[in-house]
Amino acid sequence: MSGTLPNAALDVRNVMWLLAAMVFVAAPHATRLPEWVGVFFALVVAWRGWIAWSASRNPPRWLVVALTVAAVAATLFAYRRVTGRDAGTTLLVLMAAMKLLEMKTSREVVLAIHLGFVLVMTNFLFSQSIPIAIYMFVCVWLFVATLVGYHRGVGRSPTIRERLMPAGMLLLHAVPLMLVFFILFPRVQGPLWALPQDARAGLTGLSDTMTPGSVSQLIQSEATAFRVQFDGDIPPFSRLYWRGPVLWAFDGRTWKVPELSAAGSMEYSRAERPVRYTVSVEPHGKHWLFSLDVPGTLPRGAGIRHDLQMRSIRPVDTRIRYEMTSYLDYRYGEKLPSTFRALGLSFDERRNPRTVALGRQWARESAGPAQILNRALQLFNAQFTYTLEPPLLTSDDPYDEFLFEVKRGFCEHYAGSFALLMRAAGIPARVVTGYQGGELNPLNRELLVRQADAHAWVEVWLEERGWIRVDPTSVVSPDRIDSGINSALGPIGVIPSLIAADRLRVLANLRFAWDALNSQYNQWVLGYNVDRQRQFLANLGLEISDWKKLALWLTGAVLAVGGLVGLALVLRDLPSRRDPAVVAWDRFCAKLAGTGIVRAPHEGPLDFLARVEAVRPAVAGEAREITGLYVEARYGAGISKREGRDLLARVRRFRGRGPFR
Amino acid sequence: MFANLRQSIADWIFRAKVPETPPVTLAQRRIFVLPTKQGYFFALVVLVLLLASVNYALSIGFVLTFLLASMGAVALLHTWRNLAHLKLRPGRCDPVFAGDTASFRVVLESPSRERYAVGIRRRGEIPAFVDVHATEPTVASLAVPTQRRGRLRCGRLEVFTRYPVGFFHAWSYFDFGLSVIVYPRPDPTAGLPPQQSTSGGDEGIPVPGDEDFALLRGYRPGDPPRQIAWKALARGDDLLTKEFQSTASAELWLDWIDARAPDPEGRLAILAHWVIETERLGQSYGLRLPGVSIAPGRGEPHRNRCLEALALHGEGTAP
Repeated sequence: MSGTLPNAALDVRNVMWLLAAMVFVAAPHATRLPEWVGVFFALVVAWRGWIAWSASRNPPRWLVVALTVAAVAATLFAYRRVTGRDAGTTLLVLMAAMKLLEMKTSREVVLAIHLGFVLVMTNFLFSQSIPIAIYMFVCVWLFVATLVGYHRGVGRSPTIRERLMPAGMLLLHAVPLMLVFFILFPRVQGPLWALPQDARAGLTGLSDTMTPGSVSQLIQSEATAFRVQFDGDIPPFSRLYWRGPVLWAFDGRTWKVPELSAAGSMEYSRAERPVRYTVSVEPHGKHWLFSLDVPGTLPRGAGIRHDLQMRSIRPVDTRIRYEMTSYLDYRYGEKLPSTFRALGLSFDERRNPRTVALGRQWARESAGPAQILNRALQLFNAQFTYTLEPPLLTSDDPYDEFLFEVKRGFCEHYAGSFALLMRAAGIPARVVTGYQGGELNPLNRELLVRQADAHAWVEVWLEERGWIRVDPTSVVSPDRIDSGINSALGPIGVIPSLIAADRLRVLANLRFAWDALNSQYNQWVLGYNVDRQRQFLANLGLEISDWKKLALWLTGAVLAVGGLVGLALVLRDLPSRRDPAVVAWDRFCAKLAGTGIVRAPHEGPLDFLARVEAVRPAVAGEAREITGLYVEARYGAGISKREGRDLLARVRRFRGRGPFR
Repeated sequence: MFANLRQSIADWIFRAKVPETPPVTLAQRRIFVLPTKQGYFFALVVLVLLLASVNYALSIGFVLTFLLASMGAVALLHTWRNLAHLKLRPGRCDPVFAGDTASFRVVLESPSRERYAVGIRRRGEIPAFVDVHATEPTVASLAVPTQRRGRLRCGRLEVFTRYPVGFFHAWSYFDFGLSVIVYPRPDPTAGLPPQQSTSGGDEGIPVPGDEDFALLRGYRPGDPPRQIAWKALARGDDLLTKEFQSTASAELWLDWIDARAPDPEGRLAILAHWVIETERLGQSYGLRLPGVSIAPGRGEPHRNRCLEALALHGEGTAP
């Protein structure tokens, strides 16, 4: 093997390149993995760098083995296992460091570079965002450049340009084939084997419970929940209630999704103002899907519950995209089965006694449910304020504490206490969580719904009317519903981020452009799954029925595109194309030959000209010009492009005919 | 294992006539490309990346996997391109003494681009690497240690490259019939050659030489410049050549019979030493071997002729 590399010995610069590429690829992990991993990696790389720099010996074998064992032990100690996303990545980073430390030959360097490619992949387990993707492909470039460095450089170390250029060309030439693979490689649904538990760690989103304070944590997050593209007009902001988990079960503090999971139907006694739109949901690890009230269609692979909560059959582990139709004007559920009625009225008598008493008092004093609703809304309107930083409710009766003492709160406080008041007053009620509003990107008319738009509201059941939506937050802070969370929070806002800086239009526009780019990226790159692939290929006119057919197409396309790339490389490489002057001259000679003056093989251009002048003086002038240019081009200082064109034009015009002398 | 496989495939495919007439241009069909061990390993890594992408549904992971896979495929073209259309000619292969290192030289020319890390090797030996410039011919010099005197044949050479990433080995074979004359190693203990027993006595027969001026004759192409009668030329005469003559008595015959050693190789070593020493002393000398006789003479070409005769003794005549 050693005989096949121009530089078998480890060159300092080659080692430094490898170390630099490794540091680049591991750097993003520094914030994701425990600190000791980063420290260990940095120390080992520095040590290896010093070894290369000072040309000293690698550490003894026993030390390398000891360090490796220690690294595995530390990983086991930290995670209790060596598989899974975090533990696996930690182990890989540590092993890469050890590989760097012990490598002595060029062959081991190549091994380390391959490890680098795997490390690039581990980064994508944590983030697939555009910046990370760009950064990682720069890392790939660095690794390939390092690889080139080992195969180049006869007797000396190649320069930066000599490494980066060939590596860049190689990757650039690979792009067409890569695209073919990306578009046509059959995608499969779901994992091949069970994902480690932490594969989706760190996903934010609604949970299936709600306690006072749980939603306001979400409000701090700028992360995208989902994106919506409407067909046609966008409904008014105040109608954009994105329905999520519906919470019925209540224990005095926490609202929960009920155990009862009867399937529902989408039969409405009234369903008007249809809205068509496409939602692409970011992975949140749970089952629910979002739709505007009320859903009229079901996405593929989803079902609907009795309380109109759409649930995907698989957990939403990847970004999924579905088309929806919803009806903004609706009426449903006029007949309430007794089990649901009981569920919608149940609460713990012993908790929140003052709230319960108030609800019961209203029931006694009021003529009907409408009046009870109004009293509750008036109460909130008169005395309550909306804040993202409500005081913590610590007592066992949190809603009593909120309603009678604190009087400041966030949507979940209002929704929770309102629903409890209704139940106490004998009106079936449930809490609906989801998102409200969103941000419209004027560039691509896409609605971006962030975690910060999380919201909770209430649905009450009225005789003859069925379930209707009541949003107690809207009476406290109408702005929240009409124009979004930002305006509700005032100019300063609570969110220390770009969102708060919206007043500057430039920033806003930049952000919109960025969001639009992200949306395209999500849709076409990250969201390119089985369905999207089928749809995209159908748009291209390829009806792909199964993966076998797809594989056939893939093979054909790879051969075709690979052949084209190969041909382009080969053609460019053919021994230099013929000099245009020679082409012109040959044509000139052919024309004369056609008229009877044949140039002998040994005859030089000037001798030939002399003969032409002697034999056919009529064309002598033109022949002299052509020969002059040709001689200058071939044997003189060369001719300019313009003269070359002139030569060709003259030859084209040239008519060899004329009287023989 | 792969190397062996490659070798046998190539042996089977490549059955060209040898020696080939230079220059040899590496046309498409005489270049072979096969993956290296590293290439197979890379394919394995790409497969692992693919499985990870599928399992974790990492779309950008697919991009990475496919980019690397495509890069592997393109690397094949780049490696092949690094050899294609390369022009090879035989270079000078100077004689050496046995035990010294002989150099087989091959001149490489690239008609279009620069080529990098092109290796030339004999089967199973350490290669010589060169970068071939686009403008000027580049000489690759393959050092081969010599042991015995005689004609050292280079045999078939492999020109190969793994540039740029080492995933593929592109190679071709060529055979110019290069050879190096390996002179016998001189035996320094041999001393000076015995002075001739002058067989002819004083009445030596005049033989052409450069001792005494004999006559002027007309110039014949090939006459050495220092024998041209410049003065005569200056006088306006035609180009004349001065002819000298030596007498047989002044000439020295280095004879196989005089070199006393137990084996023929020893005799050749002694004779080689004598040739060098006599040449150094500026004396005119001839060489007599069984079946070969070189008339006395002097100068570098004569010396080399004698040494070559010693080198090739028993191997047939020099070409």
